[in-house]
Amino acid sequence: MSRSTPLWRTTTVRLTAFFILLFVVASIVLLALTAYQSSIVIQRQQARDIDREVEQLVRTEDTRGVRALAVAVNALARRPGAGLYYLGDDTGQLLVGNIADLPARVLSNEGFFTFNYSVDQTAPSDEQFPPHATGFAAARSVKLDSGLRLVVGRDIVERRGFAAIIFQSFGFGVVGIVILSIGAGVLTAQRVLKRIGTINATSAKIMQGNLSERVPITRRDDEFDHLATSLNEMLDRIEQLMQGLKDVTDNVAHDLKTPLTRLRNKAESALRDSATPDDMRAALETTIGESDQLIRTFNALLMIARAEAGAPSGDFTTVDISAVAADVAELYVPVAEDAGLELTTAIEPGIELRANRELVGQALVNLVENAIKYGKAPAGGGKVEVAVLRSDGNVRISVSDNGPGIPEKDRENVVKRFVRLEKSRTEAGSGLGLSLVSAVAGLHRGRLVLEDNAPGLRAGLELPL
Amino acid sequence: MKILLIEDDREAASYLMQALDEAGHVTHHAPDGETGYAMASGMDYDVLIVDRMLPRRDGLSVLEALRAEGNATPVLILSALGEVDDRVTGLRAGGDDYLPKPYAFTELLARIEVLARRSSPAEAQTTLQVGGLSLDRLSRKVERDGETIILQPREFRLLEYLMKHAGQVVTRTMLLENVWDYHFDPQTNVIDVHMSRLRAKIDKGHAAPLLHTVRGAGYMIRE
Repeated sequence: MSRSTPLWRTTTVRLTAFFILLFVVASIVLLALTAYQSSIVIQRQQARDIDREVEQLVRTEDTRGVRALAVAVNALARRPGAGLYYLGDDTGQLLVGNIADLPARVLSNEGFFTFNYSVDQTAPSDEQFPPHATGFAAARSVKLDSGLRLVVGRDIVERRGFAAIIFQSFGFGVVGIVILSIGAGVLTAQRVLKRIGTINATSAKIMQGNLSERVPITRRDDEFDHLATSLNEMLDRIEQLMQGLKDVTDNVAHDLKTPLTRLRNKAESALRDSATPDDMRAALETTIGESDQLIRTFNALLMIARAEAGAPSGDFTTVDISAVAADVAELYVPVAEDAGLELTTAIEPGIELRANRELVGQALVNLVENAIKYGKAPAGGGKVEVAVLRSDGNVRISVSDNGPGIPEKDRENVVKRFVRLEKSRTEAGSGLGLSLVSAVAGLHRGRLVLEDNAPGLRAGLELPL
Repeated sequence: MKILLIEDDREAASYLMQALDEAGHVTHHAPDGETGYAMASGMDYDVLIVDRMLPRRDGLSVLEALRAEGNATPVLILSALGEVDDRVTGLRAGGDDYLPKPYAFTELLARIEVLARRSSPAEAQTTLQVGGLSLDRLSRKVERDGETIILQPREFRLLEYLMKHAGQVVTRTMLLENVWDYHFDPQTNVIDVHMSRLRAKIDKGHAAPLLHTVRGAGYMIRE
């Protein structure tokens, strides 16, 4: 199961680990490069310093003689924090300076050397800045014109110490970076996992049957909130469909069982009581009538279900809504007249729409039949008007009457399946008429509008053009 | 009339065959699509009644195969799918009429009788005549015993349809489909109201009525 995934297997943790590694490697490379570069720069600087001093000392001997050189070397050697100096012969006999025990290769050759040295203990030195007793030196050795050997050097350990400081801080840096990035990674991973965890928890609750559960949305408006919002919208739709299904099943159970029971009772009593073939015949005819009504209810339910589930689809064609309305009105003019009503039309011609012609026709038929059935003025008579008009991007197909209308509080209710207001219970009908109209409106991305016609009801389909 | 019924529901089939027999027709039965196809292409029938959902071969595919062979026998499709788009696919596959289940037998009988006689000369005639009533399809004039009758355009089409099928039962849904071109289901007796108006115009003041109501089925115009 996905909910028990070990932490290290989650995408977030893996990605975080990968980026930490990448970051650390990049930092190490960058820092190592910096440290190497700076140690080279220091080394060059030191070599240049030595060369410059050697040059100055050689010039001193050339211009002012050996004595002046000895004085200069002595002065240099006794400075605080001084470098390393040797002025003597090639056998290691020190004349002036501060180092002894020079290796033979330094004394017999000219050039740049590195070697171990020890400080000449006999040489006077500054109490405050005693030179290192022993050490590792980098030095230049020169044979002077006077036959003396001059060696000028620097303690390398000092230089190495500097490099060590760089490398040390570099080490601290890497450790810091690793700790920081692991910390940041863990925080990020935890946050992401927590958000995903809430989504998982919600879906688990929903799977257990609590369909009204929703993924919580924070105020950050980030990608998780977008995901949660669309998940919630999907859940709303599913819940709505489930509720619809439940309503239908409940209503089917009630409204199909009732007439089925009636049907069965009729057949039973016909079997029991019919004395003559005529009685039998009459009973059978009522049974057929009842079953036709049942079939009609069933068909209406199916049509509503299809319209509600359907997306605007393949059976949509360009329909002349004006012509459909005119046809339906014409079909019902005589029916209205027989009912003592006057059916008139106010149809703007030539309004076309992508629609399902049969369903729009059926919806309009339902509205007109309702108007004829329930739209009589209390004093008798009245007018039924079928109107089609365009209004800002919509087409409004409406049927208005002068009947008692529908009280404001009941308007939302009458659209529901099988709902019939008390006053209409005595009339024949399935209670599905307006539900179908509403479903057809929904299929065409429109809506059913019920308004006061003062007096009477104006029921209309408002469909986007 | 010789009829082939391709239907897999045995009970429905035996009921239909018995009823068609009582109505004076000879009916053969095929219980699946393959058998039905073999029988339909091997013998001449006046009408085929084809269920849409059949074992071994789907009703629409049988129909398409027959039409591809040039077999023009009129076909009535029966289907539990009553939706408009199913009707359209059925008719597009070569069906001549479409009847959703459950149906009344009278409806089915009226429809196959109209289908079987579809190729009758009435289709091409410019003047239709029933007793003293005549209807000129070109000048759109209607007369009874020499007296002109003024009809609304829709009443004219209604009468034209009835007279084209004079002597045959036409049901209310057939009228709604063919005269108004709608397949919807009116709750009220809307067709009856139109028929009674038409009857008042053509039969009033005449001793012998031409327009007859056939109980439990529909209407018929005859002498």
